Amino acid sequence: MRNDRLFIGLMLAPALLILAAFYGYPMVENVRISFTDLTLLKLKKGGDWVGLENFREFLGGREFGHLLFNTFVWLTALSVVLRLVIGIGIAVLLNSPVLKRFNIATLAKLAILVPWATPPIVAVIVWRWMLDPQNGIINQLLLSLGVIDDPVAFLSDLRTVWPAVVTIIVWNTVPLVTLAILASLQSIPAELHEAAGLDGATRRQQFRYITLPLLRPTIIVLGLTSVFWTFNNFVYVWLATGAGPGTYTNVLATETYIRSFVDFQLGYGAAIGVVMALMMALFGVVYFWIVGNKMAGEEA
Amino acid sequence: MRSSTRVLLAFGTGLMLAGAVAPAWAQEATLTFRFNDPDQEQMRAALDQFEKANPDIKVELERMAWKDARDQFLREAAVSTGPDVVHIAFVWAKEFGEAGAVLPLADSLEQSPPPNGLDDFIAMDLATGNDGSIYALPWTTDTWAMVYRTDLLEEAGIDKLPETWEELKDTSAKIHEATGKSGFMFPAGSSASGTLWFLANYYWWSNGEALVERKEDGSFGMDLTAADVTEAMDYFKSYLDDGEMPTSMLGVSDWADPAIIRGLVEGQNAIGIMPPNTFQAVLDAYAAAHPGEKLPFVSGPVPKGSETRATHLGGRMLAINANTENPEAAWKLVRFLAEEEIFTDYYTTQFPAQRSLLEEIEFAPEMEGYAEQLMHARSWGAYADGPAPIGAMWNAVGRGFGAALSGQRTTAEAGEEVVETVGKMLADGQ
Repeated sequence: MRNDRLFIGLMLAPALLILAAFYGYPMVENVRISFTDLTLLKLKKGGDWVGLENFREFLGGREFGHLLFNTFVWLTALSVVLRLVIGIGIAVLLNSPVLKRFNIATLAKLAILVPWATPPIVAVIVWRWMLDPQNGIINQLLLSLGVIDDPVAFLSDLRTVWPAVVTIIVWNTVPLVTLAILASLQSIPAELHEAAGLDGATRRQQFRYITLPLLRPTIIVLGLTSVFWTFNNFVYVWLATGAGPGTYTNVLATETYIRSFVDFQLGYGAAIGVVMALMMALFGVVYFWIVGNKMAGEEA
Repeated sequence: MRSSTRVLLAFGTGLMLAGAVAPAWAQEATLTFRFNDPDQEQMRAALDQFEKANPDIKVELERMAWKDARDQFLREAAVSTGPDVVHIAFVWAKEFGEAGAVLPLADSLEQSPPPNGLDDFIAMDLATGNDGSIYALPWTTDTWAMVYRTDLLEEAGIDKLPETWEELKDTSAKIHEATGKSGFMFPAGSSASGTLWFLANYYWWSNGEALVERKEDGSFGMDLTAADVTEAMDYFKSYLDDGEMPTSMLGVSDWADPAIIRGLVEGQNAIGIMPPNTFQAVLDAYAAAHPGEKLPFVSGPVPKGSETRATHLGGRMLAINANTENPEAAWKLVRFLAEEEIFTDYYTTQFPAQRSLLEEIEFAPEMEGYAEQLMHARSWGAYADGPAPIGAMWNAVGRGFGAALSGQRTTAEAGEEVVETVGKMLADGQ
């Protein structure tokens, strides 16, 4: 028994060491920096200890509520919910016999891979061109259809900038949800639907009482990972709007970048990073607690 | 022994002997030169000349986007990496020196001074740190000027260039009314670079004010009130509110953005403000699209305020990484890059930062506005000497103007925020 433990420990040691070196150390170092006034200009000398000053300034700052709202509501909640709803919808469509009947199921599956295969930076640039007020295809289309009279500056107009950013995120990321849900859908035994049909269940009832409950574990995992990934995401907002106009689309991730690499305040930026990590840790605990309780209740 | 074996042995012995002299090869220095302007091909040709004249030095050329160049180099220098010779903006030299990222040049300057001495270089105050050390050699200089489409001015019945900010606004409005085209187009976006930073400062300077001033006791503070900032915001916002500039410019932060360049080339907008190399790109693009035609462009000085007309004395410097293993070779390269032939044969889109070379330049007729504006250009002075990084103040001003112009905040709110934010930066840094 002791030999087994030793063997397991030895086998795990390299992985644990790598984790400690490349994950644990930067994390601890980031926490340490967050208590200092380190700047990019003081990298060689190192920062001085300032205690909780960075946290106090950030959490008590005028922009904190605005950053929180943008990050939680616009960036995370809206884009994750849309991603899940649209992803499930497309997966159900791809799994339906309709596409197979017209021999376009494979083509549709390949088409759904295109946005996913597009790197985020390329996706944002392509969308910026499409949304361009002067030459963008979307403005040209809306003008020719008579939907608008003048071109819309989608990425700089306060009324349209967030919907435009969320559209880019959803377009680029929905295939992951679609493919994961599609795989789960294909693992649901057809007999369940056949039996429900024989018992008189409508298609809607079958979806509500058979398909959705069986998809729940996949949706939970996708939801959780999507929230973590989107909450921390910097690329879409920064490349699409640069956090503007003004600070209108500024989120926690872009604020971290601005404070660290534009204002050079690495200590302050690290403090924002620590706050973001704590928020996500709290979210993960609450999420699993609620989901765990609900599942336990259902099993009982 | 067969002859083929003897040949092999001889070859092997030769290789061993070559190995024995390898340390002599190792004396060769390889430098990396990070040059951020688009003239990469021309610069490579210049470096080939340098390598020919200095066979013991090889130079690798690399490029970094200007907007990333400052923090990237600081990060590299802090961990003892980065290019040996680095192309930097005028206002970075002091902070790079203070950060220990670049070498003080005193020894190099003493051993091998430039032919006309340091007095020949403009902006030496920006190259000199607060400790008195010289951290970079001014390389190129320029300033901004107004550029106009003469055909659109004529179409609107305008026969003289605007002299004041009010006249600029009137001219812009007349052009828009008469031609349906945009008048003055400027980057009104909110990113961390570009933006209205330069224009806002020109406006303040022309009215005898500045964002940062050195006080009598030597400390640094703001020379602007919230009302001053709000007034500038109101002025520039009026171009959007009155429809002379499309709202899409709220998404444009770069003065060389295609929306501005293409608009001027295609005659969609009549007035711009930019550095000379960007204007040259406009002229080249127009000439390529309309071969043989007269260029319908002219440059002119920036408008006057209540006191003067002013732009910044911009430019680039060359600095040597504090971590270089070849400081002598690096200085040799810096000296070579400051020679006259570089500006006449290779790096022709920029003006040299040496007075002796500047005097020899003959400006093309379209560029005369730049020659005139150079007389009114001023150094960043207290901005660069002060305790707040210029990049951070730039970001605060750009975002403030972006918030005001987009309607995220009223101009009064945004003006107060800018004053509060920059004031805090200056206070915290002292």
